[in-house]
Amino acid sequence: MVRSSIRLILVACLLVSAQVTGAAQARMPQLKFTDRTLPNGMRVLSVEDHSSPTVAIQVWYHVGSKDDPQNRSGFAHLFEHIMFKSTKNMKSEMMDRLTEDVGGFNNAFTADDVTVYYEVVPSNYLETLIWAEADRLSGLNVDDANFKSERDVVKEEYRQGVLAPPYGRFEYLLQQKSFLEHPYKRPTIGSIEDLDAASLKDVQEFHATYYRPDNATLVVVGDFDQKQFDAWVDKYFVLIAKPDRPLPRVQVKEPPRKSETRLTEYGRNDLPAVGLTYLTPRQADADSDALRVADAILSAGESSRLYNALVYTQQLAAEVNSSAETREDASLFVLTAVLSEGKKPEDAEKSLLTEIKKLQDAPVPAAELEKAKNQIITNQLRQLETSNGKALALGEAAVLLGDPSRVNTDLTRLQAVTAADIQRVMKKYFTDSNRLVLYYLPEASKSKEGQ
Amino acid sequence: MKRNVSIFAALFIFVVTINLHAQTPQATPPPPAAPRAGKFPTPVEQTLPNGLRVIVIERHESPLISAQLLIKNGGEVDPPELAGLADMTANLLTKGTQTRDATKIAQEIESLGGSLDSGARWDSSYATVSVMSSKIQPAIEILADVVRHPTFKSDEVERLRQQNLDNFTLALGDPGAIARFVAARVVFGDSPYGHPVSGTTESLTRITAADIAKMHTRYYRPDNAILVIGGDINGKDGLALATKYFGDWQKPTTPLPSVNSSMESAATSKGGRIVVIDKPDAGQAAVYLARTGINRKDPDYFRGIVSNSVLSGYSGRLNQEIRIKRGLSYGASSVLDTRRDVGPFMASAQTKNESGAMVADLLLGEISRLSSAPPADVELTPRKAVLIGNFSRNLETAGGLVGQVGSLALYGMGLDEINRYINNVQAISAADIQKFAGTRLDAKTSNIIIVGNAKAFLPELQKKYPNVEVIPVGELDLNTALLKKKQPA
Repeated sequence: MVRSSIRLILVACLLVSAQVTGAAQARMPQLKFTDRTLPNGMRVLSVEDHSSPTVAIQVWYHVGSKDDPQNRSGFAHLFEHIMFKSTKNMKSEMMDRLTEDVGGFNNAFTADDVTVYYEVVPSNYLETLIWAEADRLSGLNVDDANFKSERDVVKEEYRQGVLAPPYGRFEYLLQQKSFLEHPYKRPTIGSIEDLDAASLKDVQEFHATYYRPDNATLVVVGDFDQKQFDAWVDKYFVLIAKPDRPLPRVQVKEPPRKSETRLTEYGRNDLPAVGLTYLTPRQADADSDALRVADAILSAGESSRLYNALVYTQQLAAEVNSSAETREDASLFVLTAVLSEGKKPEDAEKSLLTEIKKLQDAPVPAAELEKAKNQIITNQLRQLETSNGKALALGEAAVLLGDPSRVNTDLTRLQAVTAADIQRVMKKYFTDSNRLVLYYLPEASKSKEGQ
Repeated sequence: MKRNVSIFAALFIFVVTINLHAQTPQATPPPPAAPRAGKFPTPVEQTLPNGLRVIVIERHESPLISAQLLIKNGGEVDPPELAGLADMTANLLTKGTQTRDATKIAQEIESLGGSLDSGARWDSSYATVSVMSSKIQPAIEILADVVRHPTFKSDEVERLRQQNLDNFTLALGDPGAIARFVAARVVFGDSPYGHPVSGTTESLTRITAADIAKMHTRYYRPDNAILVIGGDINGKDGLALATKYFGDWQKPTTPLPSVNSSMESAATSKGGRIVVIDKPDAGQAAVYLARTGINRKDPDYFRGIVSNSVLSGYSGRLNQEIRIKRGLSYGASSVLDTRRDVGPFMASAQTKNESGAMVADLLLGEISRLSSAPPADVELTPRKAVLIGNFSRNLETAGGLVGQVGSLALYGMGLDEINRYINNVQAISAADIQKFAGTRLDAKTSNIIIVGNAKAFLPELQKKYPNVEVIPVGELDLNTALLKKKQPA
């Protein structure tokens, strides 16, 4: 769906490099990017790619739902929607006229750490879109009616994502309960009360604070001429001044967990669900690579350990998943299972813990390790099939890892992960005291217990 | 629209006069440069002596290949009491062959970094592998094995049955999913497109391993199949791989099963049903307007998809009215689902329970408006651009290419339609759209389905439609067009 929030951070991106083994026989694309920082602090990354007559334009703002103002949870995401309303030079929805109407598209997403706006258009419209992105970075000019109507849209997005689907609130609660201090404890979509409290004044304030050239990264991939592109960037972005005021950054540190937390919540689901989360280090930490491979071993495909154990062999679960959800300041490793009819959450939890223990007790066999790496590589190749996918990978390396060249070197890091590394991180992070357990049970089972 | 632009220009002069430090250098967008031409790949094809049609499409930008084996029948050939049979059959292909069990199949394909997926849709069943191009040979070998030699062992049948039952239970917790199931029953009644393609609790319980084996023998044969290979491979290598792994697939001596047509019953569905499924705990109401549409070979196909594009998409009329102007939903859209026989047209949005009736009105109003006046060129031109852009981008990935070409082949369309698509869309006029909307999407014979907390919207709905059928979700029966469980006598 358009202009969507993504609940959790983007899948960590790793790219292919020439030195890989096994899959190395495949032809691996390298992104040859140009990296430039303007005098006003804006970073510009670009990749010329003439494989189709289109171009992808992205602006990454280093502000996300962790930066929601006090008592305004969901504000960074609401603000993302407002960025499609009027500016000084564009009336509401003009971005759609410049993209959708010429056969392209636009969208945006808000994550915990970043907000990303993107467009894919026929390449002859590149200058037009650079102008438009510069214009909305320069300032917004939104009226109250537009603001309120868009806020209603976001409230429907909340209902559609959290209230209507049977497990929407389960996922919401998992994030909310997994952090004690860090603002990551506020789900990106926010709450109806806090959305209702937001005002136009908040909008102007938020733009002035975070939407500034030294907090933005422009990423462009596609069919253009580099010299011409640089001239357009000079023409439209260089004039935007860097404000004098300091750029606030979240300083809160999430404290280590001291003991296991166990929670039970009730919802409109017919089948119970179980979720486990473990606090893991920030995305840039060296252990992230091993955790990512462990995640693939646990849940990528039907030969994965969790699918094999819980869904296939024991038939405890209808669905099972794990995810190394990396974030800039602190991450979560999440395991979830939706149970099969008539199965007990206690048994599913026990089974999840057994699979974790196996990874702690014995090294992963070489073939299984190779399989997980091949799966990750192929997924990355799929992401890199389109110019928009390439720009996403490059933007993430630059903004969340602080180094755009990681887009080309991360696969080497991934290939270097050993069975011993996996065993080590499993022992280090998957401890009893670092665990949160959430049972999400059908409302009906509550009244039964009460009788 | 043009006038608005000139108002902008006037404003700009004013702004610049008072603010010499305006941060953007100009107030109107720079115009586009000359467009650059793109080209689509041309498929090559050959029919093997056993009747298997093989199609290869090259695209070498990424080192990926997708290969799809299509069987030209799917959920529409399910016997009425065995809804979900085609889907179970296709799903079980990857759960065991004469030489590999389910675990081995998953191990082997995933060790290649690839994925193997199978299932049934309307009009087709499929098994698809997607891998790096360096691994295509072992991947196609596995694809051929699962299509040709599945064993349908009883423990795998039971396991899948339980999973499908659980998934059906999960779907019944979601107002949108319930609304789609109900809409299909309302539009198609008891004819072949009416049931959930994955079956219902009752039908899934009835399906036996023998039914599944029979379905496989009957429909999975080379002269009822198409193999599409797309991506980083050349035509010659693709045809050679197809011959090596599918060339000795024997064509049975029995004639191909004739496909019964649902067109008659579907096209005569009279419409006008207003159905509310009362789900008091629903967090939102799902509102659907549903009616018969057209089949894929209909001469009105391009009139239909352009008409739908005027209604649907981010800036389509439905989303303009429901989301952008009124903030009533996160998104409103419509689908003209063209199939071998007449498929459905559905317009939908999810909204808070209180606005369920209003959203139904708005959906209906937009469909009527499309037939009452032709769209202006300033509206129509961009909506065509949306279609063309989506189509072109879809062909940028191996999976997208295979999907598009496979669909053309399945419905017996010329594969060169890929290169005629843009012209075909451009040829549609505003008058064509008004006519199509009036004759093929007539709002008066549409059905309305709302799934949600009925208390919040029913009184308003009943003012307009005294004939609303209200069915509590606990009494919903998707096995029959009546939608209601029979009362015990």
